[in-house]
Amino acid sequence: MIRFAESVKIAFQSLASNKLRAFLTMLGIIIGVGAVVAMMSIGYGAQESVLSSVQDIGSNMIIVTPGNQDEEQQGFERMLGEDKDRDALTIDDVKVIEKEAEFLNGAAPAILNASIVSYLNKNTRASVYASDEEAESIYNFKVQDGRFYNASDVKNTSNVALVGQTVINKIFGKIEPIGKIIKIDGKNFTIIGTIEPKGTDQFGNDQDNSVTIPITTAQQKLYGIDYVNMIIAQSTTEDNIDEASEEVERILRKAHNLRPGQSNDFTVRNQTQLVDVLGTITNIFTITISSIAGIALLVGGIGIMNIMLVSVTERTREIGIRKAVGAKNKDILLQFLTESVVLSITGGVMGIAFAVIVSIILNRFTILTTSITLFPIILALSFSTVVGLFFGIYPAMRAARLNPIEALRYE
Amino acid sequence: MNEVKNSCSNNCIIDITGVSKIYKLGKVQVVALRGVDLKIREGEFVAIMGPSGSGKSTLMNIIGCLDIPDNGIYLLENTDVSELNDNQLAEIRNKKIGFVFQTFNLLSRSNAIENIELPLIYSKKTAGKNRKAKITDSLDAVRLKGWEKHRPSELSGGQRQRVAIARALVNDPAIILADEPTGNLDSVTGEEIMAIFQELNNQGKTILIVTHELDIARHTSRIIYLRDGLIFKEEIIKEPVSARQMLKTMPKLEDKIKGG
Ligand SMILES: Nc1ncnc2c1ncn2[C@@H]1O[C@H](COP(=O)(O)OP(=O)(O)OP(=O)(O)O)[C@@H](O)[C@H]1O
Ligand SMILES: [Mg+2]
Repeated sequence: MIRFAESVKIAFQSLASNKLRAFLTMLGIIIGVGAVVAMMSIGYGAQESVLSSVQDIGSNMIIVTPGNQDEEQQGFERMLGEDKDRDALTIDDVKVIEKEAEFLNGAAPAILNASIVSYLNKNTRASVYASDEEAESIYNFKVQDGRFYNASDVKNTSNVALVGQTVINKIFGKIEPIGKIIKIDGKNFTIIGTIEPKGTDQFGNDQDNSVTIPITTAQQKLYGIDYVNMIIAQSTTEDNIDEASEEVERILRKAHNLRPGQSNDFTVRNQTQLVDVLGTITNIFTITISSIAGIALLVGGIGIMNIMLVSVTERTREIGIRKAVGAKNKDILLQFLTESVVLSITGGVMGIAFAVIVSIILNRFTILTTSITLFPIILALSFSTVVGLFFGIYPAMRAARLNPIEALRYE
Repeated sequence: MNEVKNSCSNNCIIDITGVSKIYKLGKVQVVALRGVDLKIREGEFVAIMGPSGSGKSTLMNIIGCLDIPDNGIYLLENTDVSELNDNQLAEIRNKKIGFVFQTFNLLSRSNAIENIELPLIYSKKTAGKNRKAKITDSLDAVRLKGWEKHRPSELSGGQRQRVAIARALVNDPAIILADEPTGNLDSVTGEEIMAIFQELNNQGKTILIVTHELDIARHTSRIIYLRDGLIFKEEIIKEPVSARQMLKTMPKLEDKIKGG
């Protein structure tokens, strides 16, 4: 029996004698493996940055949104525009929660919108984040200059605002913003502070392109509504977040006069659940990638099989010579199988190298964060080995079965 | 294993009785051998001659265990070859037989050393040092020192055939089979090849060659004539031509061939 090292050597020799062909054959595997590893590094990177921003916000956040997102039908109705529970949450709910909850540090309402913000003749589109005075601590707003709006601003529906760095750059330039009057949707607001830059979030949104105003002002003077988009609450510790979530649910059900058996008109989520959702998204992503990978590897494998069949025919005489000097059928089988596996693994390694380069480039020159981990690399290598074996076995068997005399006579 | 049962004396290495071979090409049947009886003693140097298509190559292939007869018995060193499976036949080709072809049949991508080494990579017991020694011995036997790293395309026909002979020798087989080994060579180079065969024969190897040239056949001790798949004549050469002697009388054509 021929030694394994020997057949690896023969395989490399034979591939080296036709480099371009070997490379073109490997291309399918290179692209397949490269795409998968690169995509997975993007996926992992996104997951990591989302996780770390979740940790940034604090893993004891509870988010209450209107409408029951656990009910399928709700989603369907929403699709039809019948957003029946849109107004389910109000500032009163926040007050009740704050008053009754034991496991909470506090709660803050929020209305999110996008509006035109202008100063003199300059204007820009920015997100408007309306909340109450507790947002400063709960939502982690860090005031750079000036002050945050306080309880009396909220009570009196004061026309005051804090602006983010991007907005400052766009409409103020070098002018000192504090004390100036800007227009939000045509209404005048006095700037009382600026917010520390936060950078972009994991989806690439500029978090500094924002203004924040008291929620009462937003409700009464800008939008003419009496409900809020969401309520953010903070549990006292990370460990009792589930108890705190249940508590919020209980309080709100009571406040909304829901009878037992009646479903919620709101949804309570906490960070652990968000992480779960994230996991689901990642799974979908992984399945999609795997299907693409499967197809790419299949195509690559067929390419390998094709070229190996050509190679067996071309080298019929060589096979005859080897058999004439004592190669057994299994020696020839091993030789050609090794060759196809070497082909596919080399393709896999090149694909991984390609993915690593792409991932580094993306990391450095785009807003995407990527993360190369061992798992996709091992996965890619094992899959390319399997592809090489699977698609190499038939050509190798054809080679092994050749009759030595006929092989030697082959022109 | 069958016992030897006929006239062949105890030092008989090849014993063929009633061997026939029929090739089927669609509906047409070509009878290549029709009951050949042939006995070769150990250490003999035999030439097989005959017109084209008379079955010489077919017979050689059967003797070399590259092919199996349709009928008849072939005992190789008293072993009935027809009872062996593919793996055992490969083993015999590897250990007991060295084959030399008219068209050299070297691996074009491998250099001389790698070509010579080929039988060794398919044999179990030759490791490292032993392997090197065997290759060096074979190289010496065919006087190819200095051409180790050359590929077949960089060698002359005579040198290629010497690489092929070295390859046939490397596993120290008992029998060397050469199917028209000088067929593609000029007379001087052919004579050199015959000199190598004669040396090997003197060292005890059993050698069978197929040739069309009587001049070449006269270097052996027995000529077997084949016609239409049957042996019809045998001739004992009392005084085989010595290739060494011949080379001395021949013009030094070799120098011109090598361009030196
Ligand atoms: N693989 C094969 N398939 C069909 N017929 C074959 C095959 N090999 C040999 N033959 C036939 O068998 C007969 C003997 O062939 P063989 O090659 O043994 O002749 P040979 O004596 O070696 O001839 P040459 O001197 O031309 O080499 C020929 O008629 C040939 O056509
Ligand atoms: Mg022939």
